[in-house]
Amino acid sequence: MMTADKEKRRAISREAARRRRRVESEVFEDLSRLLPLQQSVRDHLDKPSVIRLTLSYIRMHTLLTGKTGTKAEASHKVKCGQVTDDQMVRHEFNGGCGEEEEKERYDADASEETNMYLRILEGFLMVLSTEGDMIYLSENVSKYMGLTQAELMGHNIFEFSHPCDHEELRNNLRVTAEEVWSGEKRDFVMRIKSALTHRGRSANLKSATWKVLHCQGRSKVCVAPSSVSCLLLTCQSLPLSHTLLSTQTFTSQHSMDMRFTYCDQRMTMLLGYSTEELLGRSIYDLCHTRDTNCLTKNHFNLCFKSQSVSGRYRMLVRGGGYVWVESHSAVIPNARSSKFRPGTNQPLCILCVTYVLSGVEEPSLQLSLDQTVHI
Amino acid sequence: MSARNAAAGGGDRVGGEPAADVLVEDKQSGSVSLPSPMTPASAAGMSATMEMPRKRKGSVDNQDTKSASMDMDIEDMDESHNGSDGEDQHVKMKCFREPHSQIEKRRRDKMNNLIDKLSAMIPTCNPMSRKLDKLTVLRMAVQHLKSLKGSSSSFSEANYKPSFLPNDELKHLILKAADGFLFVVGCDRGKIVFVSESVTKILNYSRAELIGQSLFDYIHPKDMGKVKEQLSASELFPRERLIDAKTGLQVQADLPVGAARLCTGARRSFFCRMKINKICVKVEEKEFQASTSKKKESQKYCTVHCTGYMRSWPTTQLGAEGEGEGEADKQDSSHFSCLVAVGRVHSHSSPQVNGEVRVKPTEFITRYAMDGKFTFVDQRATTILGYLPQELLGTSCYEYFHQDDLPHLADRHRKVLRSKEKIETNCYKFKTKSGSFITLQSQWFSFVNPWTKEVEYLVSTNTVISCDNSRTCRSGNKAEQSSTSKTSEDGKKSLPVIPGISTTPGAMIYAGSIGTQIANELLDSNKMNSSPSSGSVSPFSLSQDKCPHNQISNNVPNGEATDMEIAGKSSSEEDAQGATFSGAESLMGENPQMDLDSVVGPGLSSLSSDEAAMAVIMSLLETDTNLGEAVDFEEMHWSL
Repeated sequence: MMTADKEKRRAISREAARRRRRVESEVFEDLSRLLPLQQSVRDHLDKPSVIRLTLSYIRMHTLLTGKTGTKAEASHKVKCGQVTDDQMVRHEFNGGCGEEEEKERYDADASEETNMYLRILEGFLMVLSTEGDMIYLSENVSKYMGLTQAELMGHNIFEFSHPCDHEELRNNLRVTAEEVWSGEKRDFVMRIKSALTHRGRSANLKSATWKVLHCQGRSKVCVAPSSVSCLLLTCQSLPLSHTLLSTQTFTSQHSMDMRFTYCDQRMTMLLGYSTEELLGRSIYDLCHTRDTNCLTKNHFNLCFKSQSVSGRYRMLVRGGGYVWVESHSAVIPNARSSKFRPGTNQPLCILCVTYVLSGVEEPSLQLSLDQTVHI
Repeated sequence: MSARNAAAGGGDRVGGEPAADVLVEDKQSGSVSLPSPMTPASAAGMSATMEMPRKRKGSVDNQDTKSASMDMDIEDMDESHNGSDGEDQHVKMKCFREPHSQIEKRRRDKMNNLIDKLSAMIPTCNPMSRKLDKLTVLRMAVQHLKSLKGSSSSFSEANYKPSFLPNDELKHLILKAADGFLFVVGCDRGKIVFVSESVTKILNYSRAELIGQSLFDYIHPKDMGKVKEQLSASELFPRERLIDAKTGLQVQADLPVGAARLCTGARRSFFCRMKINKICVKVEEKEFQASTSKKKESQKYCTVHCTGYMRSWPTTQLGAEGEGEGEADKQDSSHFSCLVAVGRVHSHSSPQVNGEVRVKPTEFITRYAMDGKFTFVDQRATTILGYLPQELLGTSCYEYFHQDDLPHLADRHRKVLRSKEKIETNCYKFKTKSGSFITLQSQWFSFVNPWTKEVEYLVSTNTVISCDNSRTCRSGNKAEQSSTSKTSEDGKKSLPVIPGISTTPGAMIYAGSIGTQIANELLDSNKMNSSPSSGSVSPFSLSQDKCPHNQISNNVPNGEATDMEIAGKSSSEEDAQGATFSGAESLMGENPQMDLDSVVGPGLSSLSSDEAAMAVIMSLLETDTNLGEAVDFEEMHWSL
């Protein structure tokens, strides 16, 4: 049973608590007003999100206004004497309200260019800290993940990527001091949650699907005020349709173990093998041994992530020599299969679009048995 | 799961999301609770509008909360609007998995975590020795943001579209990440209408040098046709090839070629090699060094992946630029068509120069079929071994191994077929084209198809060992040899060297069959493993037809001297696996053990082929007389 005294004390403490909360809320609101957000977005933020976005803002600012990024950048600027860094241009504009208009126009131009880049690349920009925090995401991320920039920025990538890809992701995030300074490159495929429906509308994350993204980029560091290093990545969704394949491109289909089940006649023109020769042959037999790792990685990506970009490898040409190629592949339902019954697992196959990058190199050199012996 | 979903764009659940029900509960609780911690005045008005986005955010942050498979720090804070309101808690629906206090605790921890991160990022907070309280940190954050905005220009003021990054910064970052440049070229003559600043970093040409020039001046001659095709509206080129993603089949475009190619928005994607300007390639070089240099340097190229869209503008808007293009354009002369694309350089290194020999160590790679036959030989092998790849292809590696090394290497061969790991060999001698031996040391591993998990071939990374090491290697080899000669392993065939076992005259196997034998073992043991009923087939019956007696001199493909001794050695190998189990008679009729060295004496390798052949025949005839001697069969560990 509570005494009147206790009750009074309780009331006082409750009141004090309310006051504290009010003050806190006000500070949160002040903070959110300083963030570059549209009003409608700002209104919907909760406290942790405000902090999350504030952190992003500060981190990006630190990253961009810090001193020189990489060794290469620094010396390049100095030696070639070119203003290649737009940042420097921007700083020149600082101060002086007479240049407001110019700033505006400059920014508008940059905006258009930026939008064009993002549209052409068919991807969004992601800046990742070494712990995996998505410090910055370009606005068009909503087109790929179905969630807005404000909702995602500051969260950790591990919350949104497929668990089986986490180890690869961690390896990619790990940047040694040496690598960071040289602007080490990164290139990997990852699965990320997407709240988009078939028609491209944003839905609930509860029914999210996995989207395959091809992430390419490099590390960036800034030294002052504090050493911050991060990864700059463009994340592109891998297109499943390739338009206008040139004469230097061919398509092929494979069973899941990478044995040929089909290839178009351009393959014959470019590499000299007929379709009949190739059916049932493994792609591993046709490639330069030193590129086995590249092919295996590609194969792994296909098996687990369903899409992949191979990077460059060599395919041996009939009769001698090899060409450098790059393959963009995806796992698709095997439309040719007549065994499909509804309700069962649909058989899958691998579709590859292979771009030939070079001419035939070392045409007289026969490296593999396949090039010498009639199959 | 993922393959089908990705391909079909299906709507399956994200993997590892077992607790949908609990999520629903959370969201519901979200909707009944008090609205945001923002000013109380706006709360009422906002509560209605907040439902939808709140739910979504709730799902963003909460979806993993109850998921067992996801082990991460989740921000379930969208529900935590009451988290810090200690006493103002309203009734939440009970979460069946966790007590409410746990949820609250997690929220508080998360908030504290964020505050800590924030204080670490704010300069004024850092020097503080003691941990600051939440409110102070927040206030300092406000100050800090104000100062940041003050120093930077007013890009993010209300009159501009507010964004976290000014657009030029963003552009800069994109180009940095993409390692690319934007370019716009006219379709007709490939005139470069625009190129972005970043091209300098990639191709080393300045913008001024490129704008107005023809793109074809900067493209590798062999790729010009390819690029022309991508830009061109010509009717001469074959019809478009498009891929239907759902079926993987090629379809013909319904539209006439020209129109389809040039319709605005039509995507283009191709690779081409572009010239790299030599000046300023290395930052340490002086700017004009290259131009004053008299020697001819070969043009360097880099492979650029170009992706973009076709765009078409009415020429009236373009003035001078469009005129020339418009006239030449076969299509609509009032339109200027161009390709707007981004060129990216990939991180993969450019093709290796042929014949590049590494400073340390000298190595080359070969590929063997399961039976040890060369199916691929790296071009570097030629400088090391003297053979052209095609000379080795199809032949068995055992033909080139020194006789002393055969047991060891055969053992390794067996091991690698059964192991997933890389197997190291000791140093061994490999016969070069000139007849001399070179010491190699190899690392073998069996390449297993990731999908079928079957061995497709063996990959061998071979390193040349310099002469001073050879002695130790050799001795190591010998030790290995003698130790393996007496041992046997379960399930594996040992390679006993059984001295004193006579051989029927001329019973020899040539080297190639060692490998075949080893491969067959594996295949048969796989077969046996998979179908025990068929185990009646002796795994070694296949070697019955080997080594007819009169093959001593002509069983060697190249007829080289050392093959004789190899052949001699190989017979001992063969026996080990031996077809000998079928009975005593086959024991005699097949390939009895023979240790050439012990029978014939060392130094055989120094003999010419004829002499060697004679020597072997003589020795065989000699040992024939020993046939009657007792042989201890118990010592032979034949596994059945």
